[in-house]
Amino acid sequence: MVTAGIDIGHESVAVVLLHDTGPLGHATFVIAGEVGAVARCAFEQTLDRLGLERASIQRIFATGIGRENVALADGHRTPMLSHARGAHWWFPGTRTVIDVGAEGTRVMRCDAAGNLTDFALNDKCAAGSGVFLESVAEMLDVPLAEMGGLSLSGSRSVVLTSTCAVFAESEIVAEIHRGAARADILWGVHEALVAKIVATGRRVGIEPDLVLTGGVARNVGVVQALREQLRMDVAVPEHPEIAGALGAALLAREPAGAA
Amino acid sequence: MVVCGIDVGARTAKAVLLVDGAIAAHSIVRTGPESAAAAAAALDRALAGTPLRREDIEFTVATGYGRVVVPFAQKNVTEIACHARGNHHFFAGVRTILDMGGQDCKAIRCDAAGRVTSFLMNDKCAAGTGRALEVMASLLQVPLDDVGRLSLEAGNGRVTISNTCVVFAKSEVLALARQGVPTRDILAALCDGVAERVKGLLRAVGVEEDFVISGGISKNVGVVRRLEQKLGTTSRVCFEPQVVGALGAALFARDFLGRTA
Repeated sequence: MVTAGIDIGHESVAVVLLHDTGPLGHATFVIAGEVGAVARCAFEQTLDRLGLERASIQRIFATGIGRENVALADGHRTPMLSHARGAHWWFPGTRTVIDVGAEGTRVMRCDAAGNLTDFALNDKCAAGSGVFLESVAEMLDVPLAEMGGLSLSGSRSVVLTSTCAVFAESEIVAEIHRGAARADILWGVHEALVAKIVATGRRVGIEPDLVLTGGVARNVGVVQALREQLRMDVAVPEHPEIAGALGAALLAREPAGAA
Repeated sequence: MVVCGIDVGARTAKAVLLVDGAIAAHSIVRTGPESAAAAAAALDRALAGTPLRREDIEFTVATGYGRVVVPFAQKNVTEIACHARGNHHFFAGVRTILDMGGQDCKAIRCDAAGRVTSFLMNDKCAAGTGRALEVMASLLQVPLDDVGRLSLEAGNGRVTISNTCVVFAKSEVLALARQGVPTRDILAALCDGVAERVKGLLRAVGVEEDFVISGGISKNVGVVRRLEQKLGTTSRVCFEPQVVGALGAALFARDFLGRTA
């Protein structure tokens, strides 16, 4: 059986095609234009790349914030269910999943079978989101992909006290004027972001094994700050940005009516 | 008797000079990276319009975020107490104060003597503070001083902005602007959003008249009108609402001086 999962986030679309033994392939796309059209295009390109026919896909599930706009999907599942299932597939010991995306944080608790048992969301505030990192990267003129690595070389001298991304921006400007090194500011930014993520997680409890998913999981500064603040190991899958799509594809192969 | 009140806020520093209990001069300057320098600049600007010199000042009280870094102040007092005191000076009947500045928003209740009885403050989130409107004004390239007036000229096409977070709302505002929604309509939605946030804070402390608005936001008619509508009440604003905290500090300075004399 081959199923597909399509995850429509705020800034990107991820597609996973899943065979009985595991993923056949995956792809991510930046959203530009109407979401339904982007989803179709992403799905078709992924099929082409793998040389698969549309007819060979038995069921397609959509997930993510834009899941209801995917006309070609046979059904949809919440991102909380999908991320829990995706993380569990990679790490069967998973009990907590933290998904940090462009526009917020989701923390999922799950049982030994990868079923969702509880979750907490922060989608109201940019301080715990990838958008915050993007704006800081722009302010400090650092490529987004390098900011985490650079932060690890920073000292622990910059502490941002603001809980708001807008106010933090002023604090960063003040640090720049004060002559603080870029790497030091970056570490302070990562600490502040992670403190916000941890606060969301505490609402449901954070138990090991902990898995970090979403595009922000590629940021080693976030991973390190999370390890330090939680004093817990943090597992990061090889492709953290496709966790939701993988979960949706896994859910799609379960009997109808399940989940 | 010459006393001085200095209010070092997140965005501006203010000074008020009281000579024998009357306001002799006041000033507002931008707060730069150095709060102490901003405080000194505010003081010098206020002195510049008078025959007074720094040495003539007998007592100085500092308030606001930067109150502990004002080197020439003898004492500091919280901005909550100073705003209640300053507003009470203008309006003896004041019982509820909304003070909204660049980086926070306070709802203050006080008694007939101008003493604080309770307060609530939002200094954690830019939504519902003056900063939200500063950010949006700059995004839409509208002078901050014009935001309120333009928002009241909005057409009938109702626009709503669903995000509370200023960062997320920026994307929404840009999308609306790109769709060709008139700027005044977007500003109307933004002013309404700010008023709605502030209403929540005020309702939580309870609104009893007289209701006074101080801080920079009181100069924004778009927020003030909408807030009055939402609360079903009218508000009062003193002649220079941004210096009310500094005035309160100066009044406390006069008390301290009277006690030590």
